[in-house]
Amino acid sequence: MVELRGVSKTYPNGTVALRDVNLKLDKGEFVFLVGPSGSGKSTLVKLLLKEEDATEGEVYVNGYDVTSMTRQEIPFLRRSLGVVFQDFRLLPNKTVYENVAFAMIITEALPKEIRRQVPMALALVGLSRKANMYPNQLSGGEQQRVALARALVNNPALLIADEPTGNLDPETSWEIMKLLSEINHRGTTVIVATHEKSIVDEMKKRVVSISKGLIVRDQEKGLYRDEDKNNPILF
Amino acid sequence: MKIRTIRYYFKEGFANSYRNKLMSLASVLIVVASLIVFGIFVLISLNMQHNISIWKEQPQLQAFCYEQLDGTQISRVEDVIRGDDRILSYEKVDKKQALERMREKLGKDAAILDGYGADIFPVSFVIRLKDVSNSNEVVKDLEKVTGIEKVSYSQDTVEMITRASHWFSLGSSLMIIIFLVVSVFIIANTIKLTVFARRREIGIMKYIGATDWFIRWPFVVEGVIISITGAILAFILSAYGYKVVADRFSQDTFFASTNLLSLLNIEDVWLRLAVSYAIIAVVVGAMGSFISMRRHLKV
Ligand SMILES: Nc1ncnc2c1ncn2[C@@H]1O[C@H](COP(=O)(O)OP(=O)(O)O)[C@@H](O)[C@H]1O
Ligand SMILES: [Mg+2]
Repeated sequence: MVELRGVSKTYPNGTVALRDVNLKLDKGEFVFLVGPSGSGKSTLVKLLLKEEDATEGEVYVNGYDVTSMTRQEIPFLRRSLGVVFQDFRLLPNKTVYENVAFAMIITEALPKEIRRQVPMALALVGLSRKANMYPNQLSGGEQQRVALARALVNNPALLIADEPTGNLDPETSWEIMKLLSEINHRGTTVIVATHEKSIVDEMKKRVVSISKGLIVRDQEKGLYRDEDKNNPILF
Repeated sequence: MKIRTIRYYFKEGFANSYRNKLMSLASVLIVVASLIVFGIFVLISLNMQHNISIWKEQPQLQAFCYEQLDGTQISRVEDVIRGDDRILSYEKVDKKQALERMREKLGKDAAILDGYGADIFPVSFVIRLKDVSNSNEVVKDLEKVTGIEKVSYSQDTVEMITRASHWFSLGSSLMIIIFLVVSVFIIANTIKLTVFARRREIGIMKYIGATDWFIRWPFVVEGVIISITGAILAFILSAYGYKVVADRFSQDTFFASTNLLSLLNIEDVWLRLAVSYAIIAVVVGAMGSFISMRRHLKV
């Protein structure tokens, strides 16, 4: 599903954001990517979306060889996955319905398909009744749900969320996380980059910890921070 | 590309130009100005060619006999002309006809001919050549024929005007190019503003998997909307302006009577004007968008 082999990323200004990262995700997994700010989580997400190119190593996503793909193929990689961000990234002058439908319009989907899929995606995130509202009429949590519906409307096999709860209060954050977990139960592979310790600890999912660009821990049913004192230098 | 996608591009293109009203309007006006300048040159040029071809068809040579020749002497001259195989056709203008023509030419002032008879006019032959290029030679030979006093010869004027129209075309092409380049850049600048205003939106579209061309087409449409609007306005203004001028001109008694200069009717030129405006508008609009996208839309 997703695989990184010996991936390093050095930005043009010399900042080393990832060092020799090896990571493999199977279909249907739910993975937390944790680590302090600046540790390289977003960089890893950008490599998966081919927003940035790896300096070294190979990246595979949904059967695409991301490292060697051409510019023309990038849109098709991105359509094969859904992505949500901390800042929601909704189009302000489109309604909730239109925002979600837009992800289908760009794929030239049939209007019939759009009319069927969009209400389903909105129902999934519990926003059917706010379909005709504009983003600025919604709370932060609701806006993130719209972003989720948009990410899911094309039925992607993989959902990537970079700090999806970064702008939300704890209670709303929980709702979003539960929603992500529910989406995962329906069969979608989910990657969540976050530094919300309490949520990660409670959810008991696979946790991949990054520190200064290195994967320092990869644990099934893990905690945000390993209390094991055998590795004190890593944190 | 699917019809519904094309419809989306047009909808977005119109929305863009509407959202960017002021700059769009400014660009439209620049396009109108450029195309009107272009149109004026085209119209002048078409009319020049039209007149040159009329002059070329007009008798190239007119051989005048001495006034005092009698009938046999004249028919001897006519025999020489008839026997010259460089001559395509000729027409004999006798004394009476010459008087008539002069009357016509003078129009209102024909009264000054009162009291004169046809006698004062010479018999002449209006001659058309098979090949204009050897007219110099023919003129020399005809001048040697006994009975011919002089040969008038309009070739010089035709040549001069043809040459002048070449230079005019060259000069106006340069002007037109400058104006069109200015239009392209003004449109490019307008599109740039739209691209800037929609930067965030473009970023989002990229994240959800829009192709480069899906993002670009609405901007191309916006550029073409601006230039086509400009072309339509320019066409209305220049076609109407030309019609007014051509109508006035046809009422001018001097030109009407002398055949010296004639203007094409609007019916003869509007299609050419419209087609060239449309082609230029599409090219200018698309070029403006492309320049702007190359610089500011790194999708
Ligand atoms: N475009 C960039 N150019 C240069 N350095 C960058 C860029 N993006 C991120 N970085 C640096 O790379 C490191 C990792 O950043 P990031 O992946 O955003 O971390 P995180 O998402 O875990 O907070 C940081 O030191 C950051 O300053
Ligand atoms: Mg980050």
